[in-house]
Amino acid sequence: MRNSLKVARWEFKRNVRNKTFIISLFITPLIFLLFASAPTLLNHLGDDEESQTTVYLNDQIGVYEALEPMFEESELVSWDVQETPNEPSDMTETISQADDAAYIILNEETLETGTITYMTSDDLQGSFENQLGVLQQPIKQTQLQSAGLSQEQLQLVQTPIEYEAFEQETSGGTVPQEEIGGFPYESAIPAIFAGLVLFSIVISGMMIFQSASQEKKDKVAEIILSSVTTSELMQGKIWGYFSLGILQVAVWITMALPIALWRLEDVPVLEYLFVPETLLLTFIAVLGYLLFAALFVGLGATIEDYSTSGNFQGMVMMLPFLPFIFIGPIFSNPEGIVAQIGTYIPFTSPAVLIMRLSILDEWPWVEMLIGLAILIVSIWIFMKLAGKIFQIGILIYGKNATPQEIWKWLRA
Amino acid sequence: MLNKVLSVENLQKSFKNAKVLKDISFDVREGEIMAILGPNGAGKSTTIRNIMGIMYPDEGSVTFHNHNGNEIPRYKIGYLPEERGLYKNVKVMDILLYFADLKDYPKEKAKQRALDYLKKFDLEGKENSPVEELSKGQGQKIQFIGSIIHEPELLILDEPFSGLDPVSQEVFKNEIKQLAKNGTSILLSSHQMNLVEEMCDRLFMINRGEKVIYGLMDDVKKEYANFKCTIRGKNEQSTLESLPEVTRVEQSDEISILYLTQEVEVTKWLSQLPETLDVQELSVDRVSLHEIFVDIATDQTLAQEVGASNA
Repeated sequence: MRNSLKVARWEFKRNVRNKTFIISLFITPLIFLLFASAPTLLNHLGDDEESQTTVYLNDQIGVYEALEPMFEESELVSWDVQETPNEPSDMTETISQADDAAYIILNEETLETGTITYMTSDDLQGSFENQLGVLQQPIKQTQLQSAGLSQEQLQLVQTPIEYEAFEQETSGGTVPQEEIGGFPYESAIPAIFAGLVLFSIVISGMMIFQSASQEKKDKVAEIILSSVTTSELMQGKIWGYFSLGILQVAVWITMALPIALWRLEDVPVLEYLFVPETLLLTFIAVLGYLLFAALFVGLGATIEDYSTSGNFQGMVMMLPFLPFIFIGPIFSNPEGIVAQIGTYIPFTSPAVLIMRLSILDEWPWVEMLIGLAILIVSIWIFMKLAGKIFQIGILIYGKNATPQEIWKWLRA
Repeated sequence: MLNKVLSVENLQKSFKNAKVLKDISFDVREGEIMAILGPNGAGKSTTIRNIMGIMYPDEGSVTFHNHNGNEIPRYKIGYLPEERGLYKNVKVMDILLYFADLKDYPKEKAKQRALDYLKKFDLEGKENSPVEELSKGQGQKIQFIGSIIHEPELLILDEPFSGLDPVSQEVFKNEIKQLAKNGTSILLSSHQMNLVEEMCDRLFMINRGEKVIYGLMDDVKKEYANFKCTIRGKNEQSTLESLPEVTRVEQSDEISILYLTQEVEVTKWLSQLPETLDVQELSVDRVSLHEIFVDIATDQTLAQEVGASNA
């Protein structure tokens, strides 16, 4: 155990000082941030181009006062409204010569026929008609008012039909109202945290693969093995990269938390984060790491040169990404058969469980316990197998092991 | 007799169906240099890996005498494997301190020793260089320092001279001798006889997993390094074979090599050579370990033959 810790400390130290690791440590969250904010940024860029629309409004029926706040609030239109007493015939020239300009006339005729007459510059043709939709409701209201409807009747006409499901009696009482925007922050935050932990340590778990393979290539293994046993070396690597993964998460969280606190002002992020669920989900993530770490450390010991390794090893490397195919089915039906199967396959169960537990209000305890039991047994089996492969593989120089050879080592 | 540090008894090991070690037994004593010699694939590295607990023998035992218990006293042993290398993206001093740490050797002492040895091996000022910037020879020196940084009681060197230039070979040879003089027991394997011949106290020659010769270097030389006479000239093999004190004749083209018995007195033997022999050139010298070694490697029977004729 003491020797494992020495190896772990060494692996940690030499990677932390490695430039590539440091760069990726800080670059990865920035890339995430870029990808997360790029769509919004691009949207804003698009907005800027549209915001210049100058709208000349000839309001003869006095609705502008009611319209003004709507123009300001609406996300669909960004108009610079200028009132004008000019008739359409006077405006033709101004509009046709201007860029991004439109003219609207609202008069008695508009109210009678329900037709809004407008005119746009060449470049606005087509797109402007959609934006005119904002006028629909206030014009209708004015129309109805002038038709002599009472305030009550007006209310009735304007209230759309709503739908409400009949509340069934449940033991748990009423479900708490979801937060702003309908996003379930309360259950999502622990899941996002655990997902981040899982992602980060699986990534650093893949570094174990490289490390074991490099150890073989550099031929250091036998020197190290004169001081420690193979299982100590293997465990040391697993713990070393585990702590690297945790460091990674810590750095990412310290970078992300202030941003989250700032962007989600109304959400008590910290309160939602420090709950027992976070602990359980993180525990599941750690189990996931141990499984993949065992897989990768064994696999790494079979490969000296990754570029000439066969499909077999490449396929194993893809296993951590298997849960991605479950994302769609799980979010559409977290109790469905796909979700259940995903819970029982050790390679997918950590990610699948984290996803399901964060969506479901009622946790499927039995399924979860069976899934976790399978996972823990698998970890134990994989550690044993990895130990066997590692012990032989790490000392074989000059070639990659074939699946047949690996099979032979496992049976030895 | 000096105290035994390591005893290997009746070691047997098989890979699949092939027996690679057959009944290997030898000791290493305090402060001596003991060599395991043999051609490639003879079982040298396998024997060493079994001693180091990197492999486990099917049968037989490995005993470390100054240590109680079944565990291998790893911190008392220094090991330089045949296949060796270093982590690339780390500093020289860091990796040396890591090796020392793995052996539980105090950090400050290790640092001082590392600096001393770097200086000794003409690598002064390299302690903060990354390993990847070292030349191959410099890397080998660092590996060597790594194996002795913790002042081991027993130093096991598997092919320490392979890949070294003559200058570095000399440096290593002197350092190994010095270590032995200071009391370190050394077990080294090699196929470079000329280097080993000058420095080791005892040797164990192995071929195909079996013992061929085991004993003090001086005894071995006396026993096996008989005289041989090389003659250039056209002579019948049967004529040569009929000469006294000749055990075997090897002939190719005009060169004939006559292997002589151990008891031969060279001057007398020369004076009684028949005048009819065709002698263009003639030389008399001892069979070297190198020749015995090559014979073994090419599966001839010189050693056994000479040995048998002595029996």
